[in-house]
Amino acid sequence: MADFIKHPVVELPDRDPAPAIPAGELCFTTAEKAQIATWVSRYPTADGAIMRGLWLAQEKFGWLPPEVIRLTAETVGIEYSQAYGVATFYSQYFKRKMGKHVLDVCTCFSCQLCGGYDMLHHLEKKLGIHKGETTPDGKFTIQEAECLGACGSAPMLQVTNGPFVVNLTEEKLDALVDALREDRVPPFTSVNLPQDDEEMGGNRRTDAPFKAQYQVPPVSKTIR
Amino acid sequence: MSVSNGSATKAGDWRSYQRVLLPPVKDLHKLEVYEQHGGYAQLRKALTDPAWDPKTVTEEVTKSGLRGRGGAGFPTGLKWTFMPPVNPDVPRFLCCNGDESEPGTFKDRQLMEYNPHLVFEGMILASYAMSVKTSYLYIRGEFADWISHMERELEKLYARGYVGKNIMGSDFSTDLVIHKGAGAYICGEESSLMESLEGKRAYPRSKPPFPAQRGIWGYPTTINNVETLACVPLILQKGGEWYSQIGAQKHPGPVLYGISGHVNRPGVYEYPTGMLITDLIYDVCKGMRGGKKLKALVPGGSSTPILRADMIEGVTMDAESLRDAGSMMGTGGMLIMDEDTDMVSFLRRITHFYHHESCGQCTPCREGTGWLENIVTRIDEGEGNLRDLDLLLDLCSQMEGRTVCALADAAAWPVRYTVERFRSEFEARCRPSLIPAAGIDSVLV
Repeated sequence: MADFIKHPVVELPDRDPAPAIPAGELCFTTAEKAQIATWVSRYPTADGAIMRGLWLAQEKFGWLPPEVIRLTAETVGIEYSQAYGVATFYSQYFKRKMGKHVLDVCTCFSCQLCGGYDMLHHLEKKLGIHKGETTPDGKFTIQEAECLGACGSAPMLQVTNGPFVVNLTEEKLDALVDALREDRVPPFTSVNLPQDDEEMGGNRRTDAPFKAQYQVPPVSKTIR
Repeated sequence: MSVSNGSATKAGDWRSYQRVLLPPVKDLHKLEVYEQHGGYAQLRKALTDPAWDPKTVTEEVTKSGLRGRGGAGFPTGLKWTFMPPVNPDVPRFLCCNGDESEPGTFKDRQLMEYNPHLVFEGMILASYAMSVKTSYLYIRGEFADWISHMERELEKLYARGYVGKNIMGSDFSTDLVIHKGAGAYICGEESSLMESLEGKRAYPRSKPPFPAQRGIWGYPTTINNVETLACVPLILQKGGEWYSQIGAQKHPGPVLYGISGHVNRPGVYEYPTGMLITDLIYDVCKGMRGGKKLKALVPGGSSTPILRADMIEGVTMDAESLRDAGSMMGTGGMLIMDEDTDMVSFLRRITHFYHHESCGQCTPCREGTGWLENIVTRIDEGEGNLRDLDLLLDLCSQMEGRTVCALADAAAWPVRYTVERFRSEFEARCRPSLIPAAGIDSVLV
């Protein structure tokens, strides 16, 4: 069988992994508990709040080892098994320790045809790792993302489930990596509507600090 | 390719079209600016004017001919009437679907950023029309910045008393909750969205029972797309009659076209339905990038069947015209491809997407999407043989309509139509097979 036919690799979880978070740090503050309680109150049953609870836990602990999922499940008030199922189903919850900055490069559909793979490969070369890997200093993880919904400003990436960086070029990527090395996370970018350029000078939001114009997408060198 | 003058199309005189979903008003996302421009006046009218009871609101929406903008194009007014009669003991829910994960679709995000209160007002009006006490706005987790943006605006709305208890002094109360997803394409499917809201893995449910009978937590639920609900305040403001006159007769209204790919000016454009595809590419988007020739386009998100350049002459962007051309309106997220596009590699990435996003509940989809990816990858690497093409089509037939939700169909259609409509390109990539397969006579010659 040729080697490009992929066989799914099922990684069974370690039955008794050593806790990644020390027992002393494994707790929510009173404010965080109150926040979770607010979310719980917005749903007929506590279950609905588990997704928000896991988001909060991930922001606090960086990723979701089993003991954090258990803690979140207990705080929300649902079964651990259900919370574990949710945490493992959704792709944005980190089930392993990630780099400080996770770069989700979109290569799907429009981004594929407009240079998404060029950006991914440039990033891989620059950081010396493959997609799915973390740099040895624990600073960066690169992931190949599915469509992130910014197709008109392809190619683009998302920084650690947060801001979108759109209309990427290799220079822009270099600048982004340099900024992230110093932990300067890019701010929210508002993308202009092309019709606004004609009808109102392109300035729709006066409170968004950074703007991107729609531009001619680059020619992609590689598409896989 | 000729560029029409626009007057003969279903979209009418689209060049002088005035935008209504995203009107040219600075800082419209701010509550005070939105109110200055007639915002929440429709809600006030519905809540205070006795002539506007819930039934009248629903009738006006039905009269407008509004069809869902999330992909399926189901008539919205009709969907609302599926809700059972009001029973004070049984809660009812409304969900606004802002999951927007279909590749090629990026319109709802713009609407939520630039005109969030139109979405909120639409949701509250829809809640009023269906006597709903709690509505959820489900936004995909990747849109973290837009979720916090929407939450900030929602807080102001609560502070102003436009949502919550006794809205605007009336006896109508409804709550609005923003739910943050966490990255799963399948959540855009309405029944898995409900599972996700319930804090479970987003496995789609079998239908029937439909959400209007048994929705979230088993209670009657209606699910509408963001853009669909944003149309509701406009319909009440200017009348269903006005709305039904915009664009194509059987699929009326303004629509946000998200155009991406090899065009000079990609982006989200608001125009009436029934726009000529050629107008959109050569006029609105200022033509193909680098003056290249058009090769193909996907009219409404990755799962809608692909159209070759020779299939789009005179085709307009509405359900009927696209159906006759052999495709679907979908979400209105168009991908334009120029003559240099490699269709095999393009299809390979799409099959990878569906394999990644299959939830794994039904075998035909979980296994089928993987096999589609493996076979297309084999062809793309130059290791495929001609029999693989028929194997792909056979696999598609085994997937379509055999699963709980439509993801298997959505995964099979791009494969089926890309292989059928660009067969020569796929054949050129394959090694000639020694074994003849049905339908490939050329092998034996």
